[in-house]
Order: sequence, then C-alpha cells, then structure tokens
Amino acid sequence: MFFQSHARTAVLLFVLIGLVLYAATGSYFAREIVVEIAILAILAISLDVAAGYGGMVSLCHGAIMGMSAYTYAILSVKFGLPTLPSAVGGIAAAAVFGTAVGWITGRTAGIFFIMATLAFGQMAYTLIFKSRWLGGDDGMGGLDRFDLSWLGINLGDSLSFAVYTVVCLGLVYLAAAWVLRSGFGRTLSGLHSNEDRLQALGVNTVIHRARALGFSGLLAGVAGILAAQHTLYISPELLFWTVSGEILIVVILGGLGTLVGPIVGAVLFVMLKHEVSEYTNHWHMVVGLVLIAAVLAGGRGIFGQIEYWAADRRRAGKEQSAEAGDA
Amino acid sequence: MLEVKNLSKAFGGIRVTRDVSFKVEPGERRVILGPNGAGKTTLFNLLVGALKPSGGDILLDNESIVGLSVSQRARRGLSRSYQKNNLFEDLTVRENLALAAASAQGKFAWMSRDSFRDKSVLETVEEVAEHVALADHLDMQVRSASYGSRRQLEVGLALATKPRVLLMDEPTSGVGPSMIDGFHRLLQGLPKELTVLIIEHDMDLAFDVADRITVLNFGEVVFEGTSGETRGNPIVREIYLGEGLEDA
Ligand SMILES: Nc1ncnc2c1ncn2[C@@H]1O[C@H](COP(=O)(O)OP(=O)(O)OP(=O)(O)O)[C@@H](O)[C@H]1O
Ligand SMILES: [Mg+2]
Repeated sequence: MFFQSHARTAVLLFVLIGLVLYAATGSYFAREIVVEIAILAILAISLDVAAGYGGMVSLCHGAIMGMSAYTYAILSVKFGLPTLPSAVGGIAAAAVFGTAVGWITGRTAGIFFIMATLAFGQMAYTLIFKSRWLGGDDGMGGLDRFDLSWLGINLGDSLSFAVYTVVCLGLVYLAAAWVLRSGFGRTLSGLHSNEDRLQALGVNTVIHRARALGFSGLLAGVAGILAAQHTLYISPELLFWTVSGEILIVVILGGLGTLVGPIVGAVLFVMLKHEVSEYTNHWHMVVGLVLIAAVLAGGRGIFGQIEYWAADRRRAGKEQSAEAGDA
Repeated sequence: MLEVKNLSKAFGGIRVTRDVSFKVEPGERRVILGPNGAGKTTLFNLLVGALKPSGGDILLDNESIVGLSVSQRARRGLSRSYQKNNLFEDLTVRENLALAAASAQGKFAWMSRDSFRDKSVLETVEEVAEHVALADHLDMQVRSASYGSRRQLEVGLALATKPRVLLMDEPTSGVGPSMIDGFHRLLQGLPKELTVLIIEHDMDLAFDVADRITVLNFGEVVFEGTSGETRGNPIVREIYLGEGLEDA
C-alpha cells in the first residue's frame, strides 16, 4: 500500500535538487548524465507502479517507451505535425499499448505474465526493426525538441534540456503518487496481494490490471518522448528487451514498491555505469554483482532496506517507551 | 431470494454435486450440513461463480446468475467467507476491511480520490471491526495476526461488503469454544433481512441458528427441514449425526 512519508519527500527533493545542481555546475557531460538518469528514473517509476504496486512484473516497458518515441517521430517527421500534439500522440500510443498488453495478459500471472510481456515487447521491436518506412535498424532522425521560446527557454541548450527532464521526472512522480493514493491505487495493492479475494469482493480484476498497465504505459510514454528529444534520433534498440531488463534491475536495486527507491536506483545505476566503465568494459558485471548483493540482502533494494531499518528502529523505540510507561 | 435448480458439477468423472435443488427465503438462516467431502464447499463455489456448473441453474431474486462472473455476482450482493483463510496477507486489518468496503461501494476505480479516506468506507470499517471484535487490532499486519483474529477477519471481509446474501464456509473451523460463542453472538447480531447460508460443523450452533437445514451427502441433498425435524430424522442420524448428537 502506497504512502508518502516525510522521509520519502525529503529523499525525492534531495535527488531532484541534486540533479539540477549537478547539471548547473557541471560540464556538458554531466548534463548528459542527468538526462540519462531522469529518463531511466521515469521508466523505473512507471515499472514500479505496475510491478511494485500492481504485482505485474513486465518485461516490455522498453517497448512501451519505444512505441511512444516512434509515434512521436512518425507524427512529427512523417506527418509534419507540431511537436506538442506529436508528443501527446506518442504518450497516448504508449498508454494504449500498455492497456492492450494488460488486457490480453489479464488472466496470466507470475512467470507466464513475464513471458507474455517479453513476447509482446519483442513483437513490437521486430515490427519496427523490419519496417522500411520507419528506417528499419537505421532508425529515424530529423526530430525536434519543444519550442519553449515563448517562455524564454531554449531547450536546445544542454542545461535547459537537463532541467526540463528533471522537471518531467518530478511531475511523473507526482502523477504516480497521486494515482497510487486513490481508490484505484488501493485496489492495485489488493490485486497484488490477493487477486482472487478482490474478485470475490466485486472487483473486475482484468479491467483493473489493464488500467494499471495503461497508466504505467502513459508514464513510460513520457520517457519515450524525452528519449526522442534527447538524441533527436531513435532506433529500434529502444524497444529491445534488454532495455526492459535494465529498468527492472534499476527498480529492484532501488527498492520495489517504494516509488522513491527506483529514482535512487536510477541515480546509482547510471553513476555506477559511468564510473566503472572508466576502468573496465565489464561494467555490466559490476552492476550484476551489486544487484545480487541487493537481492541476497533481503530483496528490498537500497532505499527499501534503509526505509525498513528506519521503520524497525521506530517500532523498537515505541515498544521501549511503552515498556517504560508500564513500569 | 436464492434458488438452486438441479445443480450439478463433475470433476472428471466424479460427480461432486448431484442434482441439488433448494430455495432460501429472504432473511432466512440456512445451515448446510454434511460429512467431509460431501460437496458443501463445492456448492458455495458454484453459487458465487468460482466454479462453472455442469448443469442446472442458480436464481437470485428470480433471475438466473449462472452466466455472471464472480465479481458480477458479488456486485449483486452475494458475499462469501472461506473455509481456509483467504485474506490480503501483506496488508493491515484496516486495509483489508477498507478494500472490501470500497469494493462494495464502487469506490475501487476512483482515480483522484482516496477510497481509504472516504467517510462511509471508514464508517463501515469501524462498524464491521466492532462486529467481528477486531476494533483493537485494526493496525495489525494480517500476516502476524493470530489464527483467531484472521478467522474473524475472514468473516469481516464478507460482512464489509454489506451483502444481501452471506455465505459462510465453516467460520468456526479450528477455533476454540469461547470464539464459537462469540461467533454465535455475531450471527444473532446480524441484520434480520440478511439472508445467510452457513456451512457449520458445530451442532449446537447449527441447530440454534438455523431456520432450515439442508443435509448433503455424496453431493446429493438427502434431507431438508427445520432443526427439530433434522434432529429426529433417521436418515440424517445414520449418515451424519450419529456421532454428532452423542457429542452434543
Ligand atoms: N477442484 C477440484 N478438482 C477435483 N476434485 C475436487 C475439486 N474440488 C473438490 N473436489 C472433490 O469434491 C469433493 C467435495 O469437496 P468439497 O470441498 O466440496 O467438500 P466439503 O463438503 O466442503 O468437505 P469438508 O467438510 O471437508 O470441507 C471431494 O471429494 C473433493 O476431493
Ligand atoms: Mg468444505
């Protein structure tokens, strides 16, 4: 069940402000890292909504993001639509794709659900990879960023773009937290905990699984737009299943079902990747080792584990003061 | 209120429910008796839609509900507690009850408002918690609650939907005498207009609360009558009550 504690708010603000400061004081390279973190964090939040809260461990979130990026490219480059409606279209496409996956997999669970999402993602990847119209494995270029000059902002500037992605990250977090705290968010936790009983209480769980993946897809769609606007070029690689796997690793690393944890996970993952790849080409192995350690340590993830310790200490403190009161 | 017509269910070649027919009036307290494996739980599974019958019909308010899903039947007012606890294990007692109340009140799909802060959901949670003696344990994690509390919550979940027809599958299974007494009082405190079907092994309780009793054996209805008639019936004594009555 989702809750927004003061500690979570503090960590969230700390990371968001930290990212902005890092971008503002750092080099062009630092700003690239901030953008990478923000996009990955949005994807991780999106997956945490589905997997951490709804219990639907998806391996097609990369594909969902890619659908958004490609729709954005098709609408703006092929059809010449302005960037804003193209972005809305891209996000909508991601939401529809997510809903469809949720609907079709509505009665599968566990490993079957994971395999089904993997299949859907790879299907989308293959379709785009094979499409000449979409440039096949060459991808598509000629994309644009939003024109925010009416606000006095030039998104072509690396610092402005980095700050813009961090703002999007903040908004995505707010949207996710808002929905998780609604009646629907509560239902999602019930679905995760005991789908059968929820059904017996009168909830059509298939519809709600589809809605959950639709909403999660919508958030991943935002990341797709940012990814397209970041490099101004997209390729089918965005949809490849390893991207989805990476998102899952980030969520587990940070703390499944904590919403803030995935952001922490994204920061660590990207930092680790860049730091370690300075010394060795085998940075994947290092990430793998960290992941194994995180799983063996209880599977709560880094943020999740710290939160767990803090809650434990609070409980112990309460019991102690209760005992003192008895005496 | 609830009518079952020639209901049958077979698993493979084994007929677990055979041509079962009965009718329950609004507000009636119906007890289902029968030895282990008689098909009592299967009958409940058929009623709520967890299993599809091989044949026959189920009418709620004179309308067939066999084509409806579990959740659709629940929204028509059918609610059920399980023989084996079937709870939201990783949530608290309060969250369990709130989920049930929000589901029944149609607040489970709200996107912008929190069902757990809704006034009438909160009222139902308090009321039901009081009713099943869990008012002092609302913030307890279900996973770490005692078996007795979990048993009470099992019934609480079914009650929190404010059903019109309540099906309870051996609510007192595995609990001690004091909790059976408590449960007895709970039953007496239920609204008069609520229709209740209850599978119960405790004979004193069964005979005391029942308006009518249906006895199943090998999937078949072998007897139906009032408590008094059931007590005195030779077939019933033979197949089921022989030992039960001596105990009582
Ligand atoms: N899904 C199933 N597949 C195959 N056989 C089943 C299934 N469910 C129940 N049965 C069989 O149907 C028979 C009736 O089972 P049921 O659980 O309805 O009995 P019951 O009257 O509730 O018994 P108890 O008093 O032990 O709870 C049993 O022989 C059981 O093994
Ligand atoms: Mg049974």
